[in-house]
Amino acid sequence: MSTFPRPVPEYGSEPFWAGCNEGVLRFQRCAACQKLRWHPAPICTYCQAEDCAWETIPGTGRIHTWTVITHPVHPGAVGKVPYVVVEIALDAQSDLRMISRLVECEPDEVTMAAPVEVVFEAHPDGQQLPLFRLRR
Amino acid sequence: MNSISDRACIVGIGHTEYSKDSGRSELKLACEAISAAMRDAGLGPGDVDGIAKYTMDNNDPIEIARCLGLPSLRFFGEVAYGGGGGPVGTVMLAAMAVATGQAKAVIAFRAMNERSGRGTPRFGQAMVADTAAGPMSYLAPYGLFSPAQMVALAARRHMHLYGTESRHFGAIAVACRHHANLNPDAMMHGRPMTIDDHQSSRMISDPLRLLDCCLETDGGAAVIVTTPERARDLRQKPVFMAAGGLGGGGWNNRFMVRDIDAPDNEATVAGRRLFADAGISHDDIDVLFLYDHFTPMVLMQLEEYGFCARGEAKDFIGDGSRFLWPHGDLPLNTSGGNLSEGYLHGMQNIIEAVRQLRGTARTQVQDARYAFVTAGNAVPTSAMILRGEA
Repeated sequence: MSTFPRPVPEYGSEPFWAGCNEGVLRFQRCAACQKLRWHPAPICTYCQAEDCAWETIPGTGRIHTWTVITHPVHPGAVGKVPYVVVEIALDAQSDLRMISRLVECEPDEVTMAAPVEVVFEAHPDGQQLPLFRLRR
Repeated sequence: MNSISDRACIVGIGHTEYSKDSGRSELKLACEAISAAMRDAGLGPGDVDGIAKYTMDNNDPIEIARCLGLPSLRFFGEVAYGGGGGPVGTVMLAAMAVATGQAKAVIAFRAMNERSGRGTPRFGQAMVADTAAGPMSYLAPYGLFSPAQMVALAARRHMHLYGTESRHFGAIAVACRHHANLNPDAMMHGRPMTIDDHQSSRMISDPLRLLDCCLETDGGAAVIVTTPERARDLRQKPVFMAAGGLGGGGWNNRFMVRDIDAPDNEATVAGRRLFADAGISHDDIDVLFLYDHFTPMVLMQLEEYGFCARGEAKDFIGDGSRFLWPHGDLPLNTSGGNLSEGYLHGMQNIIEAVRQLRGTARTQVQDARYAFVTAGNAVPTSAMILRGEA
């Protein structure tokens, strides 16, 4: 079966993907202003400081918004529809949001602000991907 | 003189038919549309010396110049994010080129075989690649590929924050289809749509339904821009750029995933100075051309360009009858728009805006003086106010 595309790590984003393979969310935290940022960036989005540290953050958050995808536009989606793509507001910082897929639930179970937690699932190429499930 | 206001005007318009399969090359589509626009303006090859293109357009400006026999190009440039961000932006590039005297008359065009896929891949089919790099590496591995899916996230958020409903999106689709049915050139001419049709159309990416999404089209469309001084000697009544703006920002750093909770976005940036530069208010706008890739994005533009307050678009729209020519007070996309006329990345909306301000539209708004025209939001965008001569 076709699969969703495999992520090709950007130069500078490798620690995030390595973290996934270790089962943790690892984000950049600015050494100057202490803000976490996402997507990975070569300089602080908030203060332009260059120094940062990759830090493991809690894999919990709430659903900021979502869509139930019913029309497969990619070969990898055939046989997977319907599936739920979510934007997660991570608990680690109020304005930190990432895109992922919600698993282990039916589309009609999804509600705004529902608490979620990360669960890792391997892409067929071996890279672990951070997916989320409802915290029940 | 600190803005583009009144320093450039559109003097020629041209387009091919809009179809599912043009049966000819994208280069031929571009040449046909541009040639028609030059004839409309009454300009010959020696009079036109610039080309502004969409980044995504496959046609090479110098190849177009060769085919059309343009002896000298003194300006060429392209608008990034075009695509949907390009329609007004290309006209603005052309306007800036003529306003500064760098060129005499500049073409802005879009031509593609997007529906047949003969040259341009179908956008609705998304990326079939098996790898995702750059910003897409944080989206596609989870199954988020297409523009429709990305804007669905923002649509859902808007519904949650403000109580917007699918029928408000539907009212926009119905208005565009209404106008397409008054336009024999529209792809959806002869195919009426009711709000019930919209509500029963299948889900694509909930809450986006099929009828919330624009068409896919083969075709070409072009306009010619020159200075007001030069325009006086030409065939057509000039349509002036009363104000124009481009907008983008760090909020757009995730492809078309949009942060609608933020106070500013690409549309608020593009729109910030428009009304002040034009010296008019929103009430002065006679006809609206809001880039209609997806209906929720049109609804958000009403708020973000200040036609109503944030969250109030649902009340502004109501049942949508205000958008319908001839009785509505604010007719929207009067030739059918990207949703129902044809999807030439908004260039066909600009052409219709020019017709309205010349007084030659099929759905002519009485005494139309000002048109508000936008490029697509959810990508870096552009917007302008066009003015016809009194």
